Amino acid sequence: MKLSHVRPSTLAVVIPSVAVLATLLICALFAEWLAPYDPLQQNLMDMLQGPSAEHWLGTDDLGRDVLSRMIHGSRIAVIAAAEATGLAVLIGVPVGLFIGYRGGWWDWVTMRLVEAIVSIPGIMVAIVIIAILGTGLHRAMFALGILYSTAFLRLARSVVLTEREEVYVRSARVIGASPSRILVRHIFLNIAPPLIVQVTLTVGAVLLAEAGLSFIGIGVQPPQASWGTMLNTAAAYMELNAFLAVPPGLAIVATVLSVNLLGDVLRDSIGRGIRLPEATPVHVPASAPARSRSSEPMTPRADDALLVDGLTVTVSPKGGQPVPVVTDMSFRIGRGETLGLVGESGSGKTVTGLALMGLIGAGGRIAGGRVLLDGTDLLSLPASGLEAARGSDIAMVFQDPTTSLNPAFTVGSQIAEVLRVKQGLSRRAARDRTVELIDRVGIPRPAERADAYPHELSGGMAQRIAIARALSCGPKLLIADEPTTALDVTVQQEILDLFRDLQDDFGMAMLFVTHDLAVAADICDRIAVMYCGEIVETASVDRLFSHPRHPYTSGLLSAMPHGASGTPPLPVIPGTVPPPGSWPPGCRFASRCAHADAACAAPVPLTTAEVPGQQVRCVHAAALTLEAAQ
Amino acid sequence: MTDALLRIEDLTVTYGGRSLLGLRRSGVDAVKAATLTIGAGETLGLVGESGSGKSSIANALLGLVPASAGRMMFNNTDLAALRDGYPPEVRRQIQAVFQDPYSSLNPSMTVEQIVTEPLKIHTGLDPAARRDRAEDLLRLVGLAPTHLGRYPNEFSGGQRQRIAIAAALALQPKLIVLDEPVSALDVSTQNQIINLLYERRDATGMSYLLIAHDLALVHHISDRIAVMYLGHIVEEGPADRVYHAPAHPYTRALLDAVPLLDPARQRARRAARRSAPVSDLPRAATGGCPYRNRCPLAMPRCRAETPPVLPVAGGGTARCFLAESDIAAHPARPEGVTAP
Repeated sequence: MKLSHVRPSTLAVVIPSVAVLATLLICALFAEWLAPYDPLQQNLMDMLQGPSAEHWLGTDDLGRDVLSRMIHGSRIAVIAAAEATGLAVLIGVPVGLFIGYRGGWWDWVTMRLVEAIVSIPGIMVAIVIIAILGTGLHRAMFALGILYSTAFLRLARSVVLTEREEVYVRSARVIGASPSRILVRHIFLNIAPPLIVQVTLTVGAVLLAEAGLSFIGIGVQPPQASWGTMLNTAAAYMELNAFLAVPPGLAIVATVLSVNLLGDVLRDSIGRGIRLPEATPVHVPASAPARSRSSEPMTPRADDALLVDGLTVTVSPKGGQPVPVVTDMSFRIGRGETLGLVGESGSGKTVTGLALMGLIGAGGRIAGGRVLLDGTDLLSLPASGLEAARGSDIAMVFQDPTTSLNPAFTVGSQIAEVLRVKQGLSRRAARDRTVELIDRVGIPRPAERADAYPHELSGGMAQRIAIARALSCGPKLLIADEPTTALDVTVQQEILDLFRDLQDDFGMAMLFVTHDLAVAADICDRIAVMYCGEIVETASVDRLFSHPRHPYTSGLLSAMPHGASGTPPLPVIPGTVPPPGSWPPGCRFASRCAHADAACAAPVPLTTAEVPGQQVRCVHAAALTLEAAQ
Repeated sequence: MTDALLRIEDLTVTYGGRSLLGLRRSGVDAVKAATLTIGAGETLGLVGESGSGKSSIANALLGLVPASAGRMMFNNTDLAALRDGYPPEVRRQIQAVFQDPYSSLNPSMTVEQIVTEPLKIHTGLDPAARRDRAEDLLRLVGLAPTHLGRYPNEFSGGQRQRIAIAAALALQPKLIVLDEPVSALDVSTQNQIINLLYERRDATGMSYLLIAHDLALVHHISDRIAVMYLGHIVEEGPADRVYHAPAHPYTRALLDAVPLLDPARQRARRAARRSAPVSDLPRAATGGCPYRNRCPLAMPRCRAETPPVLPVAGGGTARCFLAESDIAAHPARPEGVTAP
């Protein structure tokens, strides 16, 4: 870990922790030279003295120098922590790895044994082991090592159980790696982060347990100096010299805290985290977000169900600057109309849908713009107003019906709940309406199916239920986020047909978010193509497919499996989608575009192309000859 | 076919046959007596919906799940009989690329470790030679040697899939099992990976078993296509014949369900079908043809008898009585699909 990459807040933790542990280690190594007195040298004339010039930390009941005993005690602390923790790791990790990978009887027997050990208070187990082995530091630490090995065993086992199902373990088996190699080379590596945390917790626990065992007289034996025996002494003379408890107490607290804090930092620094954007964020003026880039402000029209104007959303990564994920987002959806929001992963299409619902997650913020639903600006509503609108005026259908429905309740009760909360229906009326809705979405035997739990339904059926729930209060706008992506292609077709049917009945406007242009061609009246957080082209569905005006749209169309013809090489868009935070300041598609030139370096507004209703964000749009769908 | 690299005969894969406590339960057949052949240098596309058993065939072929019956003849070796794992000389000839490039690469290993791992296990190359080979492999898949020291989380989905392909190519296998290799990728990167796979196959003469749910995509790079429904291979044949003149009603249904890029034709297709409520019949029919509960052309005979494997004009086979009677009764191609 290079220090230059560490954030200041992390350094504030690391420096004191390292200082405490370094002091501890130096004391342990050079106790003979550092200690001003012999820790065992008694002087009954000077017993129970407070701090003074000769005895900086005073003296104990036998007149021994407390500072010297502290320094020598640190050696015991280091030995104890190393012995017990080392033993716990050496026993627990290999056994846990083995039983986790092997499973079967080995696993069953070992785990029952572990459960028996952990069901008894730890200190009791240690006392029993010490009773068998005898007292003394090393025996006590051996006992603790065995005791704490159960934690490492369970940790290693649980990591193996989750990791062995990972695809990369399957890949390793296909390569021909032996089970031991898979355990050591592939799975063991991934134990490191939780292992480090467990080690630091154990070191802390061992220090406390050593103090505890010594305190009750079965650990380190007097007159040897350990922090635990010193606490023991302090407790006996509490009324004569309360200060005696302070040095060992503080030492234990500081050491345990330092080890734990350092462990947290170490775990975080292991390179598995999510990469944060390194490039400079896109320039978005804070005062008037992107207003200058959009040349055509939206004016509300009477037939708008939804009007989005200049919407900008930013996300703040942990400890970082806000990064825009959606900029200059403007579109309208008429009553009964379906707008397709099409884009690849990272284009901001899902964030846009969530922003309309007021559901962007932690760290996300709507940095500007208006969202008018039937003329009401949702962004200016108080939280309660937005909550009232959600579910009744705007509803949403998500990608995976098996996770968007609560597995603990029947599907009927989940629809009825919406009706009772939002429309104040009685239990009976809500139930009747629920069955009606389930029937309406094409599910046979609706009354019976209302009492089914989500897992009893197929994916297609569950999505029909989710649609019924979304439509239960007759929303003005339905947002569907990849509602057919998790479904098989024949089921997808049925669900798309259902959306069309329901729109004829309910008359709601739809925002249909999808990555699949062909699905959008099937269901949408108009399509907005998104790339890197902004709309690059919007047009009626027929126009978009026959006359795309943006090179990205054209590239996507020719790259679609059934758009492309013949044998490879298939047409490609070179390069990859740049992640948020590394978007170029000008045209964001320029680096992948065959038509890019110097003119593309400046921000490009969305402008009307030759046909009304078609808008393009490309300076060359009028001049280009582009390939259409085939 | 005499030059077959892999000949799968009557392969059956059964899950859940026994439980931990030793209580016997009747298993579920994920694959039922499947028969497939892949020639040297050939790509076989295996298509089906979720639960059709296509991934189970892949897993059985890779030795990840045992075959409960049947044979898998690979170069005169019956893989199904190798109960205790594949010997190294077989293992190195069959490699795989899995669907999700985010979980198929070990997050704690560098690209170099991932790509050289097969070389460490199967060759006596020293570290310097392995590194040279890794650099070559990265160049082959369109990445730079400077990427060797990085971790998977520093790459996009498409780049990760390139790394996975480089690792699969390391041992110069004869067969690569591609399990949905592009379905987790963005549209604009999918074709890059398909082109790469195609180019590598042409350069090396290896074979692919390409598993996917998208017939249109499979059609582009497959020589032959097999279609699975609930564990059965219902149709098999040359890619163009299966794509343009499907013989089995299920293949037809799959093709008709693929959304088209042409909105006008899409509307015509929607108008042509009546949106009926979902069928209440179970998806899997017991006895007779497994597809009969969903088949628009089901006949009384389909309930009584299981259709045999019948030859289809234009090549290949279909398990459907309609293939027996009059092939010409079917239109030459599904509505809305144009010839390339």
